[in-house]
Parts: sequence; structure tokens; C-alpha cells
Amino acid sequence: MTTYRSIQTEPWTPRHQVHPQPVPARKVRRTGKTGRAVRTGRRAAAVLVLPYVALLLVGGLVPAGYAVVKSLQNESETGFGGISSYQRVVSDLRFAETFGNVALTLLIWLPLMLIGVVGLALLVDASPGRFGTTMRFIYYLPGALAGVANFMLWLFLLDPGQSPIAFLWHGFGYGTLNEVAQPGNLPYILAAMLFFQGAGTWVVVLSGGLHSIPDHVLEAARIDGAGAWDTAWRVKLPMIRPWLGYLTLLNLAYGFQLFLEPQVLSQVTHGLIAPQWTPNQLGFSYAYQILDTPMAAAMSVILLAITLGVGLLVVRRSGLFDDGR
Amino acid sequence: MSPALGRTGRIVTLLLVATGFAYPVAAFAVVGLRRDDGTGPTGLALRNAWDSWQTVLRFNDGVVLSWLGNSLIVATGGALVAVAVGIPAGYALARLRFPGRRLLRFCTLLTMVVPNTVLVIPLYLEVSAVGAVNNIWVVALLMGFHPFGVYLTYIHFRTTLPAPVLEAARIDGLSETDIFRRVALPASKPAVALVGFFSFVANWTNFFLPLVLLPLSSSTTISVGLPQLVSSSPLFDPTNAAGLDVRLYAPQLAVATLVTVAPVLAVFVIAQRALTRGQMLGATR
Repeated sequence: MTTYRSIQTEPWTPRHQVHPQPVPARKVRRTGKTGRAVRTGRRAAAVLVLPYVALLLVGGLVPAGYAVVKSLQNESETGFGGISSYQRVVSDLRFAETFGNVALTLLIWLPLMLIGVVGLALLVDASPGRFGTTMRFIYYLPGALAGVANFMLWLFLLDPGQSPIAFLWHGFGYGTLNEVAQPGNLPYILAAMLFFQGAGTWVVVLSGGLHSIPDHVLEAARIDGAGAWDTAWRVKLPMIRPWLGYLTLLNLAYGFQLFLEPQVLSQVTHGLIAPQWTPNQLGFSYAYQILDTPMAAAMSVILLAITLGVGLLVVRRSGLFDDGR
Repeated sequence: MSPALGRTGRIVTLLLVATGFAYPVAAFAVVGLRRDDGTGPTGLALRNAWDSWQTVLRFNDGVVLSWLGNSLIVATGGALVAVAVGIPAGYALARLRFPGRRLLRFCTLLTMVVPNTVLVIPLYLEVSAVGAVNNIWVVALLMGFHPFGVYLTYIHFRTTLPAPVLEAARIDGLSETDIFRRVALPASKPAVALVGFFSFVANWTNFFLPLVLLPLSSSTTISVGLPQLVSSSPLFDPTNAAGLDVRLYAPQLAVATLVTVAPVLAVFVIAQRALTRGQMLGATR
């Protein structure tokens, strides 16, 4: 990147020194001096942005709005039904159950993720040279097996008849896949699956954050007599704190949308795991099996409200998306 | 704790964890090299992988090939849309001032951090309202909505195309569209690679969206198809699979999975120059 930057910018720099910084557009608009330039600028911006705005509407805002509208219809979809569809959803016994399942999974997965990823990132950061980067690459490796491929790998790991870690399952006294993947074990299995798949990416991200800590800060800590442990705990950790909030919130939101893993596991174990184990699966069954569209819409709106709430926290509070403008 | 002990502990921990990550992947790849006709996996040869692949191809008259083809259409189509739509939008957000800019940036960030599967049922309701379920091009178009790509482009232009450069081009009399075409576009190659890569991988591995929008077994994608292979394997459904003439055991399933991962790896190799230049870190930071 740097090579390209220097080629592109250097010839222009002298001109920049002659001409002062552009006046912020808001002020221009008020004084109306360069009204025409602003207008043509706006037209160009419109041309560049409109296709994306269209997709944002079709792929995001319209379906979300439509789900809200649909959720307020009555059961036969003939007229306004108020919050009756929400009442039907909430009174479904499985509703609380699915959220309980997600909560349990998050309870295991989030601490595992936070402690595991931070620990690994700090250890990798303390390992300079090829060893550290190799380790980081290996942790990242399972991330390439995203989605269904990761699931296939885990299916093979979980089946005591096939697994390279069969000794572990035999140690627990499990002899078949259905014994390993019994409902009570599912939160642990999902937590392990998600950690295996996602930890490496976050180690890379946090390593980047750690790497950006200025050398003089670490040097100062060393001069003050801080050992490796103190530096990690008192200097490095506080400096990557915004990232930790970001990691926690994003993964929290991710937990509420779980679908693939329990869905396919239920399919493979022939219903040993309930086909409606997570909220998203429950919504799917409303749309595809019960064919109660307002209920499916209501479930989506509930999930959207939760994840949007978490998303707002991420965007507003984590400080990672601020650039002052 | 003595420094030497700490050092040993660190290296041992890292190596142990690395084993935990690499061993299952390697063991899974090895399964693909084995042979199994229902009596348990034996042997270890490349030839076995080829034979297994032939068996997979015979499943439902080669439906796997249709699945792969469909995946290729939606993943590539979606990535092309994401690039064509996302690069100009990311540039405009980063370097132009227009009404609604902050709102658009906010919507982009919000849709980026909200998991996309939450929107799948609403999308299904929308698409079925206009009667477009089972249309592969609709799926490709919807996959083209990739706010993360717009954000990556936004970061790219903010960090690599300084405002003074654009100001100078403006003073030289270039129109805004010309500036985008002649200054920004030529400088957008790394962003194109990044957006194309992330979008392709997200589309290729997307499971929920094709599951609901392409419900017919023959016209769906490989990520929806793979679980179908699993559920018709004698390993997981002995009674039902007994009636099938194509029997898929662990080696066949492993080979099918590895074939599914191959395009992701290929795209990674193509895009890796842009990816390893620290762009990814700079972008997500």
C-alpha cells in the first residue's frame, strides 16, 4: 500500500500547500457562494450512491419494514391484528425454550471466546518472528472451513465411530453420535464449534490491535521494570479494550441468529435435537411448516429488535467506528 | 515466575493449541484419502479420493454438479454486484459530501454488524410477496447487498486517497464523476480484491438464504446440498439409505466437503496479495 500511496500523493502535495483545506460543505451551503459546484457534486454523489441505496432498501430496510407490517396482521392475513401474532409467539412454549438455549450457549461460548482469543493474541504477540505468525496462521486455518464445511468436519469429530478424538467420547462413556450430540450437550458442542471456527479470525484482529501499540509505550513499561506478564496485563490489555467490547457484542448478536449448526444436527440425528432449538429455527418453522406468516414475521421482528439493539451499542459505544464525521 | 519458565510455558501453550486447531483439519483431510464400502475406512491413497468423488457424482444423477454450479452463480453474481455497487458507494461515503451521507453511513454500519441471518425470514416474506421464490438471480442480487464491502471501501479511500489529492483534481477542473473514474477507480484495486473476496466467501458459505429462497432440492446451492448428502448416508440413516443405490460413507462425504472448500481457497489465493498487505487489518481496525 505504501508504495502506491507515495506515487499518488507526492506530486500533489505542493498544490495542497498553496490551496487551503476545502471549506466544509455545510458552510458552503449556507453562504451559497459555490452553490453550483455543490449541486453538481451532489448529482455525482447521487449517481455513485443510488444503486447501493436501492440494494440497502431491497435487501435490508424494506424486508425489515415489511416484517413489522406483516407481524401486525391477524392470523388469516385479512386485516389488522394488533399484537396478536406476538402473543401467539410468546405463548408458544418453545419461545422461552429457544432463548434459554441461546442464553446457555452464549454463557459458555462468550467467556471461552473472550479468554481464549485474548490469551492467544497476547501469547502470539509475545512471540516475535516466524513462530508467532505461523501459530496465528494455524489458528486462522479452520476459519477457511466456514459454514457447512465446518459442520461436516465436526460431524466427523463428534461421531465416536469415525472421530480422531474418539478416545475422548469413550472416556465420557459415549458410543454413538446420538449419545454425544444429546440435547444437554448441545450448548457445549456449539460453543466448541463456534470457537474452532471463529477464534482464529479474532486472534488476527486483536494481533493487529496489539501490533499498533507504539513501541515507545512498551519501551517505557520495560524501563519501569514491567515484566512480560505485567506488560500484557497492565499495558497491552487496556489498550485493546475497545476491541474486546466489539468482540463481545458482535458475538452476542451472533448467538441470537444461530441456525445452521443446530438445524443440520437435528436433521442428521433425526430429531434427537429438536428442530426448533434456536429462535431463528422457530421462526423458520412458522414460515415453512406452520405457514403462519404473521407469527414468522413477529419472531423476526423480535430477533431484529434484539440484534439491532446490540448493533446500535456496537456502532455508538465501541468507539471503533468514530472518525469524527 | 522466571522468564525462562514463562517462555517455555508460552511456546508449549501455543503449540498445544495449534495442535488442537490443525489436527482435526488434517485428520478430516486424511479421511478423504481412505476407502470405505460400508465395512469401515481402510487404505490411504489419492486414487481413493478420486473414486469417492465418482461415487458422489452418481448421487441423484449428478445433482452435486448442479449444486456447485448454482453456488458458483450466486457467489460470483453476488460478488460482482457487491463490487459494482459497493466501490462507488464506499467512495462517495468516504470522499463526497451529500445530504443523507451520515444516515447512509449509519445504516451501513448497522446492517453490517447485525447478523445477516436475522433478515432471512423477512427477505423470504418480501420475495414471496412478489412471487420470486426459486429464482437464482434474485438470490444473487440480494447477496450483492454487502454493507461490509461498502465499509471496507470507505476505509480504503479514507486511508489511501487523501482529500488534498481530490481537491487538487477538482481545482484542475475535473468533474466529480471524472474524479471517481480517473483518480479513484484506478486506485481501488485492493478494495476490489477485498470486497470481492469477502463477498464471494460469504455467499458461497451462506446456508440460510438459499435454504429458504431456493427450496427445490435440484436448484439449490452446495451448502444446502451437503447436509442432504449427509442425511442420506447409511452412517446417519441406515434404514432409508439401504434403499439407495449410491451409498455415501465418511470418505465420500469428506471428499464432497473438500471439493466444496476448494473454490474458497482458490479465491483466497487470488485475493491474497491484497489480503496480506495488511489491508484486512487496517480495514477492520
